[in-house]
Amino acid sequence: MRRQAGAVSVPAAVAQPRPALTDTAISISGLSKTFAGVKALKEASLSVRRGEVHALLGVNGSGKSTLIKVLAGFHRPDPGSSIEVGGTPLDPGSASASRAAGLRFIHQDLGLIDTLTVEENFNLSGHSVKGWLSDRRERRRVQDILDGYEVEISASALAVELSPTHRSILAILRAVEDDMGSDGIVVLDEPTAALPRDEVHHLFRIIERLKATGVTIVYVSHRMPEILEIADRVTVLRDGRTTAEAEVAGLDLDSLVKLVLGYDLREFENRKQDVQTGAVQLSISGLEGDVVKDFGLEARAGEVVGVTGLLGSGYEDVLGLVFGAIKPRRGTVILDGRDVSDQDQGARILGGLAYAPADRRHFGSMPQWNVRENLTLPSPPARGIARWMSKRHEVSETLEWIRRMDVIPVETEKVFATLSGGNQQKIVMGRWLRMRARAIMLDEPTNGVDASAKRAIHVALREAAAGGAAVVISSSDIEELVQVCDRVLVMGDGRVRIELGFDELTDDSLNSAVMTATEAS
Amino acid sequence: MTQSDLRTPLVESDPPASTTQAESRRGRSWTSRLQLNRFSGIYLWAALILLFSLWIPRLFLTNATLQGIIADQAVTIFLSLGVLVALAAGQYDLSAAQILGFAAVITAWQISVAKVNPILAVVITIVICAVIGLINGLLVAGVGINSFIATLGTSSVVLAATSLLSGDRLVGPVSDAFKQVALAKIFGVPILLLYIAVAAVIVWYVLEHTPVGRRLSATGANLDTARLVGVRVNKYIVISLVVSSVMAALGGILLVSRVGTVSSTVGPSYLLPAFAGVFLGTTQLKPGRFNVWGTLLALFLLATGVKGFQLAIGANWITYVFNGLALIIAVGLAVVFERRRTTRAKEAPK
Repeated sequence: MRRQAGAVSVPAAVAQPRPALTDTAISISGLSKTFAGVKALKEASLSVRRGEVHALLGVNGSGKSTLIKVLAGFHRPDPGSSIEVGGTPLDPGSASASRAAGLRFIHQDLGLIDTLTVEENFNLSGHSVKGWLSDRRERRRVQDILDGYEVEISASALAVELSPTHRSILAILRAVEDDMGSDGIVVLDEPTAALPRDEVHHLFRIIERLKATGVTIVYVSHRMPEILEIADRVTVLRDGRTTAEAEVAGLDLDSLVKLVLGYDLREFENRKQDVQTGAVQLSISGLEGDVVKDFGLEARAGEVVGVTGLLGSGYEDVLGLVFGAIKPRRGTVILDGRDVSDQDQGARILGGLAYAPADRRHFGSMPQWNVRENLTLPSPPARGIARWMSKRHEVSETLEWIRRMDVIPVETEKVFATLSGGNQQKIVMGRWLRMRARAIMLDEPTNGVDASAKRAIHVALREAAAGGAAVVISSSDIEELVQVCDRVLVMGDGRVRIELGFDELTDDSLNSAVMTATEAS
Repeated sequence: MTQSDLRTPLVESDPPASTTQAESRRGRSWTSRLQLNRFSGIYLWAALILLFSLWIPRLFLTNATLQGIIADQAVTIFLSLGVLVALAAGQYDLSAAQILGFAAVITAWQISVAKVNPILAVVITIVICAVIGLINGLLVAGVGINSFIATLGTSSVVLAATSLLSGDRLVGPVSDAFKQVALAKIFGVPILLLYIAVAAVIVWYVLEHTPVGRRLSATGANLDTARLVGVRVNKYIVISLVVSSVMAALGGILLVSRVGTVSSTVGPSYLLPAFAGVFLGTTQLKPGRFNVWGTLLALFLLATGVKGFQLAIGANWITYVFNGLALIIAVGLAVVFERRRTTRAKEAPK
């Protein structure tokens, strides 16, 4: 399937699949990868048959993405690992070798440029252009390819105008048509994460079609129902090891989820006692954004509520919508008994709402400013009618908070960007506790934070709640949610699907809830 | 900026306790170097003064030179303080210099042609210029045009208005009484020096020692974060551009009072020195920040250099070369120091 061939060869290939050279497309064994002493992959194996759709499954941190990055030549595996593609060993750590072996990767970030047309995006990737690039000829060529797949995309449309599904399809076809050949292997990393559920079948049609031409698909997803629908076989990774390999034919949803989670249910330390909750501090109803639909929540003083889900389920937008950082379409936010739905962020902050985004560098701090200025940012301490800010006064107030939040070293003039992720997050929390926030919302509170600082932040979250605030965190870290939260809302397709109360909340129950939340329930 | 983003490690770890000593040792040697960096302008200034004192002692070491520098710089300083406020809020006000020229012309026109009471003329000038600043602010914060482009556009329109009003002829002269606004002396000290001091102290106080100034700087430092911590960023953008226009107007009024007669094209030549001064100022005293005293130091340093070379070589081109190079070197230094600070910061915890 070379370039001009697109339109003509696809239907032909459907009728007559090319004979496979070998039966095994990818064969990996004993694959280990160590990052700074931590083993992300421990002798993992993977065997993908030619022409099948093979699902690679595992919970967050199981090693899926590391494995894919090794395949892509982005990471070099530890010595002793064996990777064969199409029967020949793959030169490790080389992206061009991976490409030459016929591997194509479609990541969650599709790599489309919004302001360019479909045709221009198509031609961004490596394919060689001789001399003069004729717009008309190229547009024709790309349109022929798209038509050949019976996709209703115009080659002259801007990428930004396409629906999420068409964007994914465009990215896939671009990779496939980029000198891959029909014995190629396409790796799709969570291709449906950002897609509306009712449009996923368009994508599946393309996958089926590619499969029919003999292309091998490696499919990574968290959405279990989809796996049952599209995949032929699955391989499960857990803690860097391959723990299962199975035919999909004999599985149902329950057995599949069980396969992914494993049987060794870990015992959880008794985390905390049921907490005393007080009055409702934050009440949200009917909140709606681009993805989020009809979100409601009542958070009481003293409790920590978690919001989670798969990427694309809307959990990642909820807190931004509540705060107004993302403009909601509709919805009511009542803070401490007062409706703040129509107020801007400044007024919400004065009313006692606080929001710490996941991306501290761009949205949560002034990286080049010092600790003191970052801590006092929402309300710099000023005295008297002249509003004079005394540095000494500000320093002493900052010191107090640095000590309270346990930031080490105790230094007020240190540039914020030079602090560790954990200390940065402590400063951000200190900032809002200083404002006496009634409701504190944090996106991915331990994003980019090491293990010991993580615990300290969890303690700080509990203490904030114990101090009378309602704390809401949105997180993709299952263990964190189980350890810190009193209850967790699990979202799927923009809606809250499942709520797990204190008694039901375990790693296992939450993982399973997250994976099944796409099912209409 | 993007580069440093890319270099940021995903997971940063707390520095182990044992490195604190090494860090503080390194910190001390850095501090000594930092002092050199922070005060390099002062050393350079002293060096220039020494150079000219040895090279052209009779021309340079005179009261006239000193007075000349102060008089020349008063106008630039007012403009710079305005540009400084706009830059602190993250906005380039390229129209400021043209507004200065406009203010000079309409003040001269009101006094010499329309015979308006000078006090009223000054007030009218300030109000008109404030409105121009407000328009800039609304274009940037309301419509969402990049400040660079918006002020470039208004600058041209203001130039047109200036040209129309003056008929492209010299406007003036203003009355001798009005000239005293700039030329008067108090106990032998030029009153311009007093104006400079008052304006600088006010801007320093508000910008660096009040919550208003902190929020304004936050707007310039990181717009998204500022908005998310409750700063009404649009308000501060508008304020910064209005302040910048008003300061430019004050500069224009001082200019016309000092020289008496102005042409419609008097403004633009002040643009470059003002930006050069403000950017060079960010390398001084409070490195990495737009700051008032650093800007003043930079402006006097530049003025000394320009004056000295003018006297020594006696050619006009030296002014342009000096200001142009100063702007490039200033911004270059700021970028290099910034990079060094960030890389050092990244290395520190290891």
